[in-house]
Amino acid sequence: MMPTAIIDTVGVLSTAGALFIVSAGLTLVFGAMRLINIAHGSFYMYGAFLLTTIAGAGTGLRFWLAVVAATIVVALIGAAVELVIMRRVYDSEHLTQLIATFGLFLIFADLALHFWGDNSRTANPPAAFAGQVAIGGAVFPAYDLVVIAAAVAVGLGLWVLLQRSGLGWRIRAAVEDPETLQAGGTNLPLLRTGMFTMGALLAGLSGAIVAPQVAVAPGMDSSIVVAAFIVAIIGGLGSVPGAALGALIIGAAETIGTIVAPTWASSFIYLAMIAVLVARPSGLLGIPERRQ
Amino acid sequence: MTVARQVLQAVARAAAGARRVRASQPGGALAPPAARATGLAGVAAVLVAFGFLLGASSLLTLEEAVGLALFAVATNLLVGYAGLVSFGQAAFYGLGAYTVALSWQHYNWPFWLTFTLAPVLGGAAAFLVGLVALRARFLYFALLTLAFSQLFYEIAENQYHFTSGANGVFGPMVPSALAQPRAGYFFVLAVVAACLAILWKVTASSFGLTLRAIRENRARAEALGINVFRQELIAFVISGVFCSLAGTLFVVYSQSAYPELLDWQQSGYAVFMVVIGGMFTFLGPALGAVIYTVGQQFLISRTADWQLILGAVLLLIVLFRPDGLAGLADSAARWLAQRVPAVMRRGAPGSKAPPRVAPVASASEGEPQHAARVPGDERE
Repeated sequence: MMPTAIIDTVGVLSTAGALFIVSAGLTLVFGAMRLINIAHGSFYMYGAFLLTTIAGAGTGLRFWLAVVAATIVVALIGAAVELVIMRRVYDSEHLTQLIATFGLFLIFADLALHFWGDNSRTANPPAAFAGQVAIGGAVFPAYDLVVIAAAVAVGLGLWVLLQRSGLGWRIRAAVEDPETLQAGGTNLPLLRTGMFTMGALLAGLSGAIVAPQVAVAPGMDSSIVVAAFIVAIIGGLGSVPGAALGALIIGAAETIGTIVAPTWASSFIYLAMIAVLVARPSGLLGIPERRQ
Repeated sequence: MTVARQVLQAVARAAAGARRVRASQPGGALAPPAARATGLAGVAAVLVAFGFLLGASSLLTLEEAVGLALFAVATNLLVGYAGLVSFGQAAFYGLGAYTVALSWQHYNWPFWLTFTLAPVLGGAAAFLVGLVALRARFLYFALLTLAFSQLFYEIAENQYHFTSGANGVFGPMVPSALAQPRAGYFFVLAVVAACLAILWKVTASSFGLTLRAIRENRARAEALGINVFRQELIAFVISGVFCSLAGTLFVVYSQSAYPELLDWQQSGYAVFMVVIGGMFTFLGPALGAVIYTVGQQFLISRTADWQLILGAVLLLIVLFRPDGLAGLADSAARWLAQRVPAVMRRGAPGSKAPPRVAPVASASEGEPQHAARVPGDERE
């Protein structure tokens, strides 16, 4: 009993960790720009595809460098998208923004088919974490620990950035009152470009990190963006701790659901989200949106 | 508020409240009712003629386009008229298709029974979803509707023993008479024409005006004693009914139902049709559906990149023509109508045509309706 519990816990944490990284990016962009980015899933998929391309069969240093390179490339794509398109629609209606990112989503999906074809790809985990780990009789993939560590590092990094730095102060102020902030001398467009780039970076990092665990294939953009929405909404759009909480809830619901009622597991997730939103329309840790 | 939005609103008033605009702008650019009726009759005649002239495969494409036109217009009742951006109308579309398909597969119910049952189920489902989703606003509403439609999708995908899962349901579930391309086409055309007539009545009624009032200024509508939630719920149910009916039409030309019909991307395509055609006109989304379907068929046979082109079109529209192609045609017509009389009356003092789009210096967020009145109104 005990070993299964450990395996399950590690599995939940690993699933939740990857979900947290990608959802944190989504929620940050929403918090800073009030923008729902459907193309966030594309960034995640590109992170995974780029990793398989750059890492190749490498399992040593090359793998880690590939994670970094894939993440940076995706961040650069994000920056370009922001500069060329997104900054033109910040003042538009929600519908316009949604449609712009939906258009990007379709374009990225098509281009991915050109670059990588429609076959499923796999990446090898790094040699140091390729095997199994045994803790108290429980055996689980060592690579799960890498994902968990990455999620913890991202979480701590974001907390320091947002709560303990001057830049974080500006980011939070940009959510509250962008005009006053700009009048105070902050370069708002630059800040927004930075936030959007960071969102893309987190999506790319998450995709690159999970690549050894999943089948990297077209369509993962669509499923992850829905999952990330759910996580971010349950936790409260705009809240990074909320994304962590939401990721844990979804990770647990998925794992438990798969054990209890496999055919209903994925439905549970949506029911959980609907239940949370009915009880707390702004999510668990979200702040109710003020009337504008 | 940006200029784009002001233009958008002005176009919205011109297109949606045609009667009022005509009254306040004599000699306005909008086509008079007689011309519009002629135009409609012309389109109908062409569509009927196509039914006799086209070959089977082209006819099927057109049939799909006509069916999707109903889906798009029903979606636009929410997106354009009520200002409720739903990313989950595919739930009701798929529900309609699955109602026909599953009743046939499991109970062998006749098509005509399920064809009438589907809109009822669609309305009931929309009522339940709306009760929950309409508690949320803006993005949360969009995401809640998306979540509900994904819930339907997961059920269709995973309850394999009942829904056949990802394979979907295939088979001769439609009366053999309707399975003929020509008969099927005329059936779909007739149903869609009847439904669009009903939806037109709905949008032109006081209920339709109430919806637009809510979209323009929710707080003021509430202050006037309008039960906003109730009106929005009614709109959501009506949309669900007709989306579901559009789903049954999908079965007529495809003889199948599968989970992708319920996917959020299917809802996205409906929004795409609305946007490309123009959300501030009644028939704009129908035009969008035709462009989408025919364009997709055309592109798929020539290039694998139709998604790329679809996405690029969306971006271009969003960046340059937020009122869609119908808006583009509208401004072209307006430009012409403004030029021709101006040329004809040249020389007469004070005959300059008033600007058709309000050149508003500033309009406060609080009262877009009145602040953006056309100055030329008083002059005329």
